[in-house]
Amino acid sequence: MADDKAEQGNSRVDTEKARASLDRLYNIYQDIAATADDVMQTRCPYKDAKSLCRAKFGCRNQFFTSDPTSPPACAGSDQIDYRSAWDT
Amino acid sequence: MPITHEGLAKEFKWVTRPGEQKHIGEAIDPTDPIMQEMAYELIVGNNVDVDRLTREALDSGYSANQILDDGLLNGMAIVGVKFRDNLIFVPEVLVAARAMKAGMAHIEPILSASGAKPAGTVIMGTVKGDLHDIGKNLCIMMLRGAGFIVHDIGVDSSPEDFIAAVEEHGAQIVGMSALLTTTMPNMGRTIATFEDMGLRDEVRIMVGGAPVTQDFADEMGADAYGDNAVEAVDRAKELVALLAELRSS
Repeated sequence: MADDKAEQGNSRVDTEKARASLDRLYNIYQDIAATADDVMQTRCPYKDAKSLCRAKFGCRNQFFTSDPTSPPACAGSDQIDYRSAWDT
Repeated sequence: MPITHEGLAKEFKWVTRPGEQKHIGEAIDPTDPIMQEMAYELIVGNNVDVDRLTREALDSGYSANQILDDGLLNGMAIVGVKFRDNLIFVPEVLVAARAMKAGMAHIEPILSASGAKPAGTVIMGTVKGDLHDIGKNLCIMMLRGAGFIVHDIGVDSSPEDFIAAVEEHGAQIVGMSALLTTTMPNMGRTIATFEDMGLRDEVRIMVGGAPVTQDFADEMGADAYGDNAVEAVDRAKELVALLAELRSS
């Protein structure tokens, strides 16, 4: 019974509606990309909302705390170009 | 049905512009609890739960359209608002995009079976010696949003890594990213390796990254250059069309 319902659900695809949904998703992503371009002018893109560094490489602005499970905090100022601090 | 999921109700409070409150609120209000939970888990970037909830919803008889609209898109709409309003930043957006991918992994085969073809297959990677991946990851998010199948080979990718991925997935497009002027030449080396292996005509290669320019792309023999993630999608679409034209002639 459950399988019948699942079969019904899976086969009920309105391709036009799906196309419109994917277009909406792309529009959301376009806005996100535009915002990202702006934000990255002044804020390191690896710095999350809690000011933790999510980069997988070294950076002079990384400040490691005593908690080994926590990513390093970002000690960088957003007033200067953050990229010069990244390890190459 | 109002927003019954406590976490989603809290997230919805970040949507403060009246037009968006109406638009997103009306989209969420009539949805079932499982869809609200899916939207919430996507917002917080929990890809494991989005994967599970999508499977459960399909098994329970929800259509791919419902899951896409009521669960995944409602969540991503709030992510977009929070990012624009500086409540979250690029890392949070990328984990939400990863959760979206986890859900779409179940939806895409159903859409494909109903005749919705992917836009193309792309291999994306940051070149050898370079560990910077934000630009690449944003491009991948955009390409997936535009209907491309994207295989991410990660950072520090050698020419052989790109070639192996193209051969494994039958990709038409290779996208290379570099952030450092010192690693940019590895884009040219990768293109040269495709030529040496006799595979250059099989794929179209696009490049991007902060120090990369159109002139540099031309000099290296790349087929396209994108200045940002949106342009990367436009170039990928053009390259797929060009390749299809060449193959049909």
